[in-house]
Amino acid sequence: MNRMEELLRAFRNIADNPKAQLEKYRAEGKKAVGCMLYFCPEELVYAAGMIPFGLWGARTQAVEAKRYLPAFICSVLQTTLELGIRGAYDGLEAVMIPILCDSLKGMDGNWRYSVPHIPVIPVAHAQNRKTEAGVAFTASQYRKVKARLEEIAGRAITDADIRDAVSVYNARRAVMRRFLELCARKPGLLKPSERNAVFKSSCFMDVREHAGMVSELVALMEEAPAGEFKGPKIVTSGIMADHPNLLQILDDLGYAVVDDEVTHESLRFRADVPETEDPIEGMARQVGNIEGCSVLFDPEKNRGKMLVDLAKKSGADGVLLVLTKFCDPEEYDYVPIKRMLDAAGIPAIQVEIDQQTAENAQTLTALETFRGILGY
Amino acid sequence: MLGVDIGSTTSKCVVMRDGAEIIGSAVIPVGTGTSGPARAMEAALKDAGLTQADMDVTAATGYGRNTLSEAGHVFSELSCHARGAYWLFPGVRTVLDIGGQDAKALSVLPGGKLGGFVMNDKCAAGTGRFLEVMARILDIDLDTLSRLDLESQECVEISSTCTVFAESEVISQLSKGTKPEDLAAAISRAVAFRGCGLLRRLGLTEPLFMTGGVARHGGVVRAIEAELKIPVHTDQRAQLAGAIGAALMAYDKITREGE
Repeated sequence: MNRMEELLRAFRNIADNPKAQLEKYRAEGKKAVGCMLYFCPEELVYAAGMIPFGLWGARTQAVEAKRYLPAFICSVLQTTLELGIRGAYDGLEAVMIPILCDSLKGMDGNWRYSVPHIPVIPVAHAQNRKTEAGVAFTASQYRKVKARLEEIAGRAITDADIRDAVSVYNARRAVMRRFLELCARKPGLLKPSERNAVFKSSCFMDVREHAGMVSELVALMEEAPAGEFKGPKIVTSGIMADHPNLLQILDDLGYAVVDDEVTHESLRFRADVPETEDPIEGMARQVGNIEGCSVLFDPEKNRGKMLVDLAKKSGADGVLLVLTKFCDPEEYDYVPIKRMLDAAGIPAIQVEIDQQTAENAQTLTALETFRGILGY
Repeated sequence: MLGVDIGSTTSKCVVMRDGAEIIGSAVIPVGTGTSGPARAMEAALKDAGLTQADMDVTAATGYGRNTLSEAGHVFSELSCHARGAYWLFPGVRTVLDIGGQDAKALSVLPGGKLGGFVMNDKCAAGTGRFLEVMARILDIDLDTLSRLDLESQECVEISSTCTVFAESEVISQLSKGTKPEDLAAAISRAVAFRGCGLLRRLGLTEPLFMTGGVARHGGVVRAIEAELKIPVHTDQRAQLAGAIGAALMAYDKITREGE
């Protein structure tokens, strides 16, 4: 096994065993704070000397969570709550819960009631996140989050701490963007499941540790010959695209993911936190600078244009829209996105994914057919 | 050439000569994971007066496509339905394929190549299974259900969202004395509305052709025509479209390779 294979295996191992990571950090005397789904201010957790720990559900069945959630709540939240109730997240000092979609709005209360031993830190982002008033609102909410984190950490978080955290996080964003470029430039070098593991593992790792591993991988990818890739090249889009069956199908059918606009993947790394005198204001401005996510209000609906640009720039043959079942914001975005892709002559399909599903025959049929439509 | 379409509830098989003519066919009402595929192949070969050894090529499609050991070629049912529909109805631009457990809307390019598609959710509503459940409640066979709507005098509504809810709605209607023919029309409309939803999501270009087992259900075809206000074309052999498409795609492939 060469070094690149070793690294890819390590990323996958971490992505598949978050509990072991949590226990490792706790054994090192570090505290960890859960970051439920998207756009939690991780830099503040890091600035407090703690580990931000991503909660994105898992491929499992929601049983206990059904006591609190109706069937039409997305499986990401269903399984996240399920894991919380089952004790999978025991050891976290608290969990930050944003309220960026309708289902998340009720999650705060459900969590407090069903997982009472892990306190909740609500994270409210401004709906109009780009306006000055919106930035001021988000910053004010982040200051409340900071105060809660200070209580948990048992120490003050200074502006210098936050600036240092922002710098570390921006450095990791930069290396992740280099990784993204290489995936586009050398299709086939990494399988879709391997590419995904690099992103997914970032949710469960200390940022410096993860950035170090990605830097090493990037250097190896730079050195590796590009080779001739003969399979279909796609850009993926959606909230998440990490269902093991979906990744296996993409691997087996010989797809290469040359870029993505997936919230769980590249959208976390595309926009740096701007350097401002007040670092919390910079963090609030960054939320306003993120483009292409269905849960971040965008009256211009730029996501479709962004996807078209990504597909063209990366040389993709088509776009795979991964719909998280019962995700309303994603459903609403589908129509304008599909129209823009059609107008640009970029083939696109949508597949629906539920983390609780163990069998994905329909997805296999759809992706096998799409490969044919793309001419492979 | 042998084309085998192993569906969720039905196995279909055609024997074709030179990509031009169907010389044997069979439909067996059990699908993947059963004796259906073997029985369909045996019956189609018998119908053609041939044996497996006479076949130049065997191609499989449908949900059970990867389970057929005799298959030299395997194609997705979406591509096969587009190709098969084009052979049955040259010039078709949109296909609505409603099978036993799923429904698909397909856009077809000139020549029968698939241009795009939309599939239904994982749900029995709007599929052949929905019709089977309803026929059982009404205590009639599927053929009768497919014609009964013609006698309907009164418009009643049942849910098109969920088979289980729709089942209880039909039982409630029956207990209120609603006539079976009115319910038959409502059942057809419920399936039609789901199919029309797929077509609207895909973007419908005429002419529209229907394939799959539900294409034989006249009530659903009439309800789709009424909803879309356009003619819905179909063919007695529409249920075989997937198997025909598989045989033709294999034929295309070996012909290309032969050149």
